[in-house]
Parts: sequence; C-alpha cells; structure tokens
Amino acid sequence: MRISYAWLQDFIELKITPAELAEVLNRLGLMVEKVEEVEGDVVFEVETYANRPDTLGHLGMAREIAAALGEKLRQKPWPVKEIPLPTKSVVNVEVLDSQLCPRYCGAVVKEVKVGPSPSWLQRRLVAVGLRPINNVVDVTNYVLMATGHPIHAFDLHRLAGPRIVVRRAKKGETLRILGGQLIELSPDNLVIADEEKPVALAGIIGGEDSAVTESTTDVFIESAWFNPVSVRRTRQEKGLDTDASYRFERGADISFPPEAACMAVSLLGEFGGKVTQGVVDIYSDPFKPREVRLRLTRIRELLGVEVDPDFVQSLFQALGFEGRRLNQSSFLFQVPSFRVDIEREVDLVEEVARFYGYDRIPSIIPPLKVIEKAPNRQQAQVKKIREILFHQGFDEVLNFSFSDAQKESLWSTGKQAIALSNPLSSRNALLRTSLMAGLLETVSRNQKRGAAGVHIFEIGNIYYWENDNPVEKLFLGLATTGEVGSPHWSRPSERTDFFHLKGTCELLLTELRYEPFAFRRAEHPVFEKDYCLALETKGDVVGYLGKVKPEILAVFEIEEEVWAAELNLALLLGKQPRPLSYVPVSRFPAIVRDISFIVSDQIPFEEIRHSLDSLNLPHLESIELVDRFTSSQLGEGQVSLTLRFTYRHPDRTLRTEEADRLDSRIITHLGSAFQARLREGGKN
Amino acid sequence: MKTLHDEIEACRQDFLAALNEIKDRASLEAVRARFLGRKRGRVTGLFEALKTLPATEKPAVGRELNLLKQQMVQALEEREKSLESEKPKAPTGLDLTLPGRKRYIGSPHPVMTFLEEIEKIFLEMGFTVEEGPEIETDYYNFEALNFPPHHPARDSWDTLYIKGDLLLRTHTSPVQVRVMEKQKPPIRIIVPGRVFRREAIDPTHLPMFYQVEGLVVDEGVSLAHLKGTLEYFLKALFGDKTRVRFRPSFFPFTEPSAEVDIECTVCRGAEPSCSVCGGSGWKEVLGAGMVDPQVLKNVNIDPERYSGWAFGMGIERTAMLLYGITDMRLFYENDLRFLRQFRRK
Repeated sequence: MRISYAWLQDFIELKITPAELAEVLNRLGLMVEKVEEVEGDVVFEVETYANRPDTLGHLGMAREIAAALGEKLRQKPWPVKEIPLPTKSVVNVEVLDSQLCPRYCGAVVKEVKVGPSPSWLQRRLVAVGLRPINNVVDVTNYVLMATGHPIHAFDLHRLAGPRIVVRRAKKGETLRILGGQLIELSPDNLVIADEEKPVALAGIIGGEDSAVTESTTDVFIESAWFNPVSVRRTRQEKGLDTDASYRFERGADISFPPEAACMAVSLLGEFGGKVTQGVVDIYSDPFKPREVRLRLTRIRELLGVEVDPDFVQSLFQALGFEGRRLNQSSFLFQVPSFRVDIEREVDLVEEVARFYGYDRIPSIIPPLKVIEKAPNRQQAQVKKIREILFHQGFDEVLNFSFSDAQKESLWSTGKQAIALSNPLSSRNALLRTSLMAGLLETVSRNQKRGAAGVHIFEIGNIYYWENDNPVEKLFLGLATTGEVGSPHWSRPSERTDFFHLKGTCELLLTELRYEPFAFRRAEHPVFEKDYCLALETKGDVVGYLGKVKPEILAVFEIEEEVWAAELNLALLLGKQPRPLSYVPVSRFPAIVRDISFIVSDQIPFEEIRHSLDSLNLPHLESIELVDRFTSSQLGEGQVSLTLRFTYRHPDRTLRTEEADRLDSRIITHLGSAFQARLREGGKN
Repeated sequence: MKTLHDEIEACRQDFLAALNEIKDRASLEAVRARFLGRKRGRVTGLFEALKTLPATEKPAVGRELNLLKQQMVQALEEREKSLESEKPKAPTGLDLTLPGRKRYIGSPHPVMTFLEEIEKIFLEMGFTVEEGPEIETDYYNFEALNFPPHHPARDSWDTLYIKGDLLLRTHTSPVQVRVMEKQKPPIRIIVPGRVFRREAIDPTHLPMFYQVEGLVVDEGVSLAHLKGTLEYFLKALFGDKTRVRFRPSFFPFTEPSAEVDIECTVCRGAEPSCSVCGGSGWKEVLGAGMVDPQVLKNVNIDPERYSGWAFGMGIERTAMLLYGITDMRLFYENDLRFLRQFRRK
C-alpha cells in the first residue's frame, strides 16, 4: 500500500518528520518497505496484512498513527449542495440478494463536465501510483485511496431504465468488462444489472458499456458492501484481481458506504456537477457491533507484562472503540465496524501489545520443566547413516522432491507417481518415485564442471499412490563414479567400482546391526542386467545396487560408468537391530592358515563361502578372502582364490595337528563340492 | 739423524693431531690429501724414502709404514661416517616434507549442517525433534491453523495441490497440530522439514525449501518467554552481539504475531544501499507468535488454562544471511565445490 505523507495530513496533523513517521509505522507492524520522494511529497510503501483491510487507505493509516502518537483525527467536511430533485426519482435501485450485498448506496450527479481533474487531485493519484484518467474516474480512485472504500461510477444514460438491480447472474449472461474482455457469467457471480443485462461484476470491475466516457453528463455513483467470500470466489474464478476486489474480499467497512458516496458527490459538485437529493441506501439488516471483554489478567498472562489500565482505556478510545470498565480488572469494548479483524479477547490483547511496544515487553527465558522424551530411533539411525557415508567419502546432496513424466518413464518402478494439480511447469508436475534422477543430474552437472570423481548420497522421501492413498517413504540413494579422493604422489590414483559401493552397503548394515543380510543377483529397471544385486535382510528386499544402464546415463549426458544404489530406509529402519551380544575372548594363540586353490570362475564366491560356513568347522574363528587372480597359467576360465582361515581354541592352545586336520577337511570339501584343486605351494 | 722409523712416528702423531681438527668434509679431504695424497702425501713421501733403505731394514720399516697407512685410511673412513651422522638431518632417502596421505571424508549438505546447528541449540533447551508428512490435507495445513476457507490470508501461502483436499504442505506448522492432537502439554518441540510453494525459481525463491518450526505449550507461557527464548536462540546462532528486533505482524495461527529481525550481518545498518537489508539495517529471519486460542481449541487444549508460542524459520534464507550466499538456487545445484565449503564446526 502506497501512503502519501501529504495526504495523511488531511486526517491528522503530523508534527513529526517522514523518517520519524516511518519508525512509528514499523513499531506498529506496518512495515515501511520503501520511502520515495514524489514532487515534494514523501510516499511510503507499507506492508499490510490480510486481516487489516482498514489499513488499505489513508484514513485507516492515520487512525493507527493518531492512536500511537496520542493525537486526534481531523474531521474533514464534505459539503454537498443538492438540487431539489430526489435521487429516487432519477434512478430505481433494487437489491435482490441481500446475502451477497447487505448494503447498497447510490447517488447521482447531473450535468458533469467530464475532463481532466484539477492538478492537486492528479498529484495525489500519481503519488500513490495511479494514472489520472478523467475527473469522474479520478474521484472514485481518490475516495478509494483516501478511505480504503471502493466505489464505482456508471454513466446513468447508458443504464437501461435507468435501473440498478443487484442480483446473481443468469446462466448464459455475459459482460464486457472495462478493457474490453468478454466474460461469461454464472449464478455464482453477483452482478450489478440494469433493466436488461449485467453492467458490472459486483465489487470487482465495471462493464465497458456503462463506463463513464468523454460524452457522459449524468453519473451514478455506487458505494456498496459486498460479501467477501463471494467477491473472492468470483475474482479467483475470473482471474480478475482489482483494487476493489482486494479490499472487498478482505472486508470493507459496512458503515462507510454513505460517507464514501458523499465524498464523491461533494467533489463532483465542486467540479460543477449537480447533485440530486439524497443518497439511496438499501440496508435491511444494520450492523450490530460486537462486544468483547478484556481482562487485565489476560494481558499479563499472554504478554508477560503488567500494563496500566489507563493506557488500555485510552488506547481503545483512540482506535475508535466504544468501551466501559466492567470492574476493577476488566473492560467491555464495542468493536467498530472497520475492525473486521477483532472478534475475541486475544485480538484486543494483540492491540495492547502493538501499541505498548514489542520492544518494551521483557525477554525472559522461562525455567524449563523436564519433559519426558519418546526416543526416536529413526532420527538417531539416520544421523549414524550419514556419518558412515561421510567416512566412506560420500558427499551429501539434496534435490527437489519434484519429477516429470520423462524421468519417471526411464524406470518403471511399478510405483504410481503422484501428480500435482497446479504445477508451475511440466518439469515439476510429478513427485519423485525414486532418488535416482536427482543423483544422476548431480553427477552429470559436476562432471560437466570438471569433477574427476563424484560420490554422493541423498536421504529423502519418495512418493507414490498406494490403493489411492498418498505414501511417502524415506529412501537413501547412492551414486559413485570416477576417481576416489585426490591423486597422491605415493600411489596411482584409485577409481571407484562396484565393490566400493557394495562395501559401503555392507558397512551400513553391519554398523546399524542389521545382520544377517545377503546380496542376491536381481533385475532392476535402473541397472544393467548382469550388474545388479538385491540387498535382503530379515526376509525383505531393502534395496538394489548395481551399474546404471548406459541408455539411462545417456539421457543425463553422463559418459563414465556410474554405480548406484537405492535403499528403502523406512523399511530397513523399521526392523529390529541385532541386540548387542558378547562372545568370550580367548587368551590362547590362533593358528592362521592361508589356502590357495584354483576353481572355475563360473562359481559365485558366495556359494563357496556359504558351503564352507555350512561345514561348521570347530574352532574356526574367521574366513577372509585375501587374494584372487586369473592368469594364462591357470588356464581358461579358472581363478585362483586364497582364503585365510583363523583357528583358535577357547580354553587351550590349539595343536598344529588339529589345524592340519581342519585344513585337510577344507581342501577335501572344496575338491568334492567345487572341483577345486590346491595351487602349487598353496598351503601355508 | 732421524731414522725413518722416527719420521713414521712423527707422521703418526701429526696425523692424530690433524684428525682431531677435522670439522667437516672439506677439512677431512684436506687431511686425506696431506697424508695420503698420491703425489705430495706425507705417507707417499715416506714410501719413497723406504726405497732408499738397505734391504735388511726394508721389510720391518715397510711393514710399519703399511700399518700406518692402513690405520690412517681406516681412521679417516670412520671419521667420515661420524661426520655423516653429525650432519643436520638432510634429505637422505625420504623427503618428509611431502604431503601426507589422507582419506577423503564426505561433506554434509549446508542445509543439513545449518539444521543441525539449530537442533543443537534447542535440544540443549530440552526440545525434542518431531517430524510430519510432506503430503498434507487442507485441514492440517490451513483449517486447523485457523485459516478459514476462502480467506485471503491463504494467498500468502501459494499452494501446490494434489487432488481433493490433498496438498504439499506449505509450512511445517501442520506438525504443531499433529503433535498437539496426540500429546498434552507441556509440549516443547522443533520440527525441521521440507515445505513447498508454488513459486518460480529465482535467486531468492524456490518451489521447495526447508523450514524449522518450534512450539511450546504449557501453563503460564507468555510473549515475554517467546522473546527471551528466540533472542537466546538467535544470539547462539548469529553471535552474542547480534541485535534482535521483534515487530508486530499477522499470521492466522498466532495472536499476537511477530516478525523477528536481526541486525544486518553485512552492513550493521551502516550502508544505505546494502544489498542484503536494503539499507534498513535489519533482516527478517523468522515469524512467530502466541499460539492462537482457536488453534488450541481445535486440538482440545483449553486456551484459558494453557498458552503457547510458536515460530517458523526458513533454513536456506537464513543460511544465506549467515554464510553470505547471494543465490538460493546454489543449495539445489549440488555443485560439490559449493557443498564442500560447509563442513561442521
């Protein structure tokens, strides 16, 4: 809202400088966002709030300032010289829907000479950012900006009848609005009609065909009060946001229409028009002011400060409230019609706080009672996951929750994406069903900017429909590509691979104690056929990891291979972690044996591992794969594996012969189960 | 006349004296040349003299001379070695000034780092962290928070709708309602999370960002407590000397409402054309207020007995202020060179 320093003086005698005035407004919460000098005047751009339509004009602003400064408002007279011709005989006004239009006032000015406004009026309009048009239109804008009350001027001779009928539009009716656009109307829309057709969209905009023009002589001034919800719905439906609708939908002052009409005809009379006798006022159910009680104890309770009752009384008087003291500790106030925001005691307490000054309210850190906390395991686990990933060299990224049809079509996850009904662009029309797109976009962007390696993760929700219910699930996405760490003089630079990713997943599950878990070969729309594993624990697949398909990488313009994983954290963290348990530690030395053998490379390692586990060898503490290689000497399709077995007895020193016997069992087993043969010198 | 034997003895004494005088490699080489040099060395001279001795004396003196030469060579070698060890540690094999080897530790996203800072301050004051759904209903996002249907106040929260009454939450405030529905006072929570607005992306606007919400409900809670707690919080976050300003504002779910500014971290009010605060010297960081009694009624908490205060703060916007970031889009571009600058304190 633009407020002119000069214009304010119509309503209050300002003895303070514009800079001081800005400070006063700020303290009241009417934030001055900009101060501008316009032709000797100072104009403030003031932030107003949806609940305070009374501040959308100079009068309301002046009222706030007067109350803050302890000044009186100036009463500016609006003298009207009427001709002895009753308005009622010139125009017939009828309201058919008093629900949507509880009050309608009309006045008529004849023999108006339409032309430019006097320069003082033009200056005022320019100051608040309006373009002067002609004296009649300018007068309506002047009243709007002075008082916050929207009024409208019709060319009386262009109204059939001449009649004014306030009614709902009929199906199929149309209206050509100011500016020329033709809009279709429905019975949901309140219109101002003449005898034949709609001539204005009530409270929003006038019609082109009844507008005041250069040739207008007689003017009908409308000053009404329209139902805020009806105005809001119609302007949203038609996409017509006007100065009038902005005020009516927030709630204008229902007591004010006659005065607004009076101001307008007074000015038009001053410009040479002839004002007919009396303002038509159709107002069947007059406003009854609300009464609200204010207890001094409530002020103290809510604000934490003792406020002088005399201050309270004089404040509300200055703000236009009628009031009386009920007893020692409370008041009863009548809320004026322009304060649509005040309904309850707490609303009065806010007024006390504003004018008392937020800066004068003490700052107290209250004693903190202990509140029993429900432990939140998921939050703690997520923190731990992030720490593990940082230590594995992954950087954290965050991507928007949005997705689009093209990205979603890259992988049919079987999840039905949730669409937005009013997206700003098609690129943000869906919610993501996977974290993968964001991760790959991040990889691509960083590679294009020269990153030699990108190792990233994101923890965030994915969204989808499940049986017509929206579901959001916490997921973890990982992607890794290119060089690991920075190059170092002491060794060749390392590149990431599948096992970096797999190791990270293994680490996550063991650190969070979700053992036992297993990896199985799997298929997934994101990953290459032979490069994909599913991660299972406690009977559920909790995620997939693998090598991203080249055709998907191509969409993101990624040239290097990318290894990625997606884990359903909601599912995983819902499981019970393995309880901590204790295994006695043996004081006796271990015997460590490395056994190297040659076996077909078609046998998955995990099979060998499981089969060794199932032997349940006594005293076997651990098995590690410490070496693996292929060479031409081994023969086509053969691989050499070196397993390190650690044997230990809990209660005594293990004997060499016992270890030898275990070695033999292993070698025999590997031979019979996998046709493995001991490598030359392969046992020590 | 001195015998050759005596000369050998004198040479030995001289050598021992000279050996003591050796301080560095150069003096060592000088001694070596003086005694063992192939042309003018004293020992070489003595060998020349040996040739003049009668054949009977030659073997004995020759042995003596050879022994001396051997001892000299050995003494010099030992001295040479000891010189090596006396030398200040010079690069021999390994240059220890080479850079060390370290593993790369990943970096948290700045939004998360900042959220953790905030959480830490409130956790120390006995708050708990609560979460809620990002897909909300109109009831929790608006109605329960005292936004009547068709109220213009809704216009400030540009909403992305899904279908029916489902929408993407425009703020973290719905979690206030969800928590109060299941938990009775006293309540002391903060709620971090993603929120969504129907906004085009530009340097100061995003369609999705993070917010943190705070809520306290108890008996005897007042605006003075709101001021005290938030002042403490903002000073903990921005520094002890930060000035904090509370000014009246409007939110449907709080009454009275406040907006909270901190002194401009860039110009401290000294620069009329400051791009951060526009010359006002203040920068808005959060919205707050006393929980509206209607909100308490909506969750069956008696507003006559209990009162509360709440606040909401945008994470990216505030982080921009704290770290001097001028473009909000950077947070979601995920350029690693940007992200890696925000390691935890």
